[in-house]
Amino acid sequence: MKDRRFWASLALFSLLLPVLVAAQGERPQAPPAPAPSRSSVTLEGREIPVPVTITPGGPLFGLSPLAAEMGAGLTSDEAGESLTLKIDQTEVVIGIGSSIITIGDQIVSLSQPPVQGEGGIQVPIEFLRKTFGDLQGYSFDWRPDVSRLAIARRGAREMQVALDVVHLQGVTTVVLQFPEAPRYHVKEEPGAVEVQMLADRLTPPAPPPAVADPLVQSVTINPQQIRLQLVPGAEVESYVLENPFRLVFDVHRAAAVETAPGPAFTRPALPAGIRTIVIDPGHGGRETGAIGPSGVAEKELTLQLARELASRLEQRMSVRAVLTRSEDVVLPHDTRTAIANQNKADLFVSIHLNSSLGSGAHGAETYFLSTEASDSRAARSADAENLDLAGDGPDAASDPAAAQDLQLILWDLAQTHHLSESQRFANMIQGELNETLQLRDRGVKQAPFRVLMGAAMPAVLVELGFLSNPDEEKKLQDPAYRSDLVDALARAIGRYKALVENREPAAGTGAATPPGAQLPSPPSQPARPAPRPTPRPGGGAGAPP
Amino acid sequence: MSRRAAGFVLGFALALLIGGGLWWWLGERGGSRVRGTAQTVSNEPREKREFDLYFPTDGGRLRAERRELEVAEAPKDRIRKVVEALLGGPKGDGLYALFPEGVTLGGLQLGADGTAYVDLRWAEKEEPPASGSSEEMQRVYSLVNSIVFNVPQARRVVLLWNGAQTLTFAGHLDTSRPLLPERSLLAP
Repeated sequence: MKDRRFWASLALFSLLLPVLVAAQGERPQAPPAPAPSRSSVTLEGREIPVPVTITPGGPLFGLSPLAAEMGAGLTSDEAGESLTLKIDQTEVVIGIGSSIITIGDQIVSLSQPPVQGEGGIQVPIEFLRKTFGDLQGYSFDWRPDVSRLAIARRGAREMQVALDVVHLQGVTTVVLQFPEAPRYHVKEEPGAVEVQMLADRLTPPAPPPAVADPLVQSVTINPQQIRLQLVPGAEVESYVLENPFRLVFDVHRAAAVETAPGPAFTRPALPAGIRTIVIDPGHGGRETGAIGPSGVAEKELTLQLARELASRLEQRMSVRAVLTRSEDVVLPHDTRTAIANQNKADLFVSIHLNSSLGSGAHGAETYFLSTEASDSRAARSADAENLDLAGDGPDAASDPAAAQDLQLILWDLAQTHHLSESQRFANMIQGELNETLQLRDRGVKQAPFRVLMGAAMPAVLVELGFLSNPDEEKKLQDPAYRSDLVDALARAIGRYKALVENREPAAGTGAATPPGAQLPSPPSQPARPAPRPTPRPGGGAGAPP
Repeated sequence: MSRRAAGFVLGFALALLIGGGLWWWLGERGGSRVRGTAQTVSNEPREKREFDLYFPTDGGRLRAERRELEVAEAPKDRIRKVVEALLGGPKGDGLYALFPEGVTLGGLQLGADGTAYVDLRWAEKEEPPASGSSEEMQRVYSLVNSIVFNVPQARRVVLLWNGAQTLTFAGHLDTSRPLLPERSLLAP
């Protein structure tokens, strides 16, 4: 009896064991991300209480306690939609959920936006490096294996600076060359511009530089700053060149246009002429782009089209055409626009060929950038822009709230101030393609295309046909057909060039063409400048007209 | 060793053998389901609901196909079902599958701010299929529109491919930030 009971218990146990184990295995899995973690943050070796959230894009850190520990001020606007982080004298404006921030007057794009999270706003490590790192010389060392962020102040670097001043055709170019990228801030004031070192020290050249120039009175260099003293009425534009790192200032006389007292924010002036055009052959290298049914790769045809267009433009009009790539190589999107910016291009044209799922789609379409209006600040920005063009916009000079609002949306304006010109240019391209080639008009559209982001000039992406459509694929392989496409693009560029160069001088604030100005009308466009497009929710493609 | 102790050891070994065998058998039956789709098992009651799934059309746009899916109340479960149904392809004529066979849902998360993180996996290639911009937008917005239009708790979508967020999906669309639905792609 006893034995029987023993064996019965054993059998029951053996049956229950797998059920228990299986039930354990069927427990719901932890969500992939974001997941709270037992992470830590140390500042100069001391652990500080900063919430950390691990997301698929990387770790996010609570900004509020970090700012307090690092001696920075963090304030929120009334609507709670943006925050201002003050690090020393530099203001960093952050929009919740927006990957664009402003650091001083610089627009910086983050690969991951700050988000609301545990204990307030949370920011990626890239944010910390671009703010506290660049402004105060902190290093941020994230170790994913132990989930720890170590923050330490780097020592100030001593670096030499070389100065070069050249005056040519009414423009003085001042080049400051550094052995590596310094941490600096450019401050402009009437009649002068200063480069202030934030966490590095300069070794001034000996003897001190003597400058004899019609536009630059003097250049003084001390360990903390470089100061360019300009002659009265001179204006300056600055930009950066890499390898080696150079900070360049182009100084020229201001245009003799009376400027009315305006708002604190001034929109960049419209282009005075079209001198440099950057043509971007889409894709390249292992990034083939679309592949047609017969195996034709988009990257090959776009390169041929771009080369031909560059050649035709230089033959027909007095412009410099620059290709972003002239070989079959991979080129990052941001490099393409950087090439345009560094060449001070007046137009950017990215050439592509399309494909769709299925073979029915055909025709051409032209895109310009869509900024995401989901962000309420972007929508307000667009509204403000539209109002301003209509002449009844917020007067930032008299309305502090409007001025603050405009300052807060600087990031958006960096992307959108060329949008109306891009739209006008896109209309001209689409008109030429429709009228001369009788292609199916798929319209002018907006989309958040990466290659159009960051272009500091009117920029479009043109899709010249569908490689997925066998008929269009065949036509696109025909050199004569491609020549017609190039002709249409060249005519559109010529028309836009003529429009810009015949336009009456714009006001000093860079507002649109004055009312009453006679402009050549693009097809189906009114003579009046197109209103600044309001980015559509979703920032996506617009329906064809 | 007494006879009783020997019996106990023998019995325990037998129990381990039987238990291990049953565990292996159950694991084989349920394991692929769990591993393949990162699915979690929920005891929540399920119900049949209609969803509009937006599939690519021949003309470069998207058209809704109404489907009845068995879902739990949890928004994450609904997103998972919608994405899995999309990846399974359309049933009606004139619509196209988003991806070649083999693309699966690797992971899914719904943030408190309404951002849905969707990680697609494709063992064959590290990157999404090469394409023109229309094809790329059809793929991306098929997912984004279907998620956001069907699950109100999801307001935007971050797409990951093989576990990584990329600057663009196939060389055009900026996928480094959350994407909102795009109505203009919907076929009339």
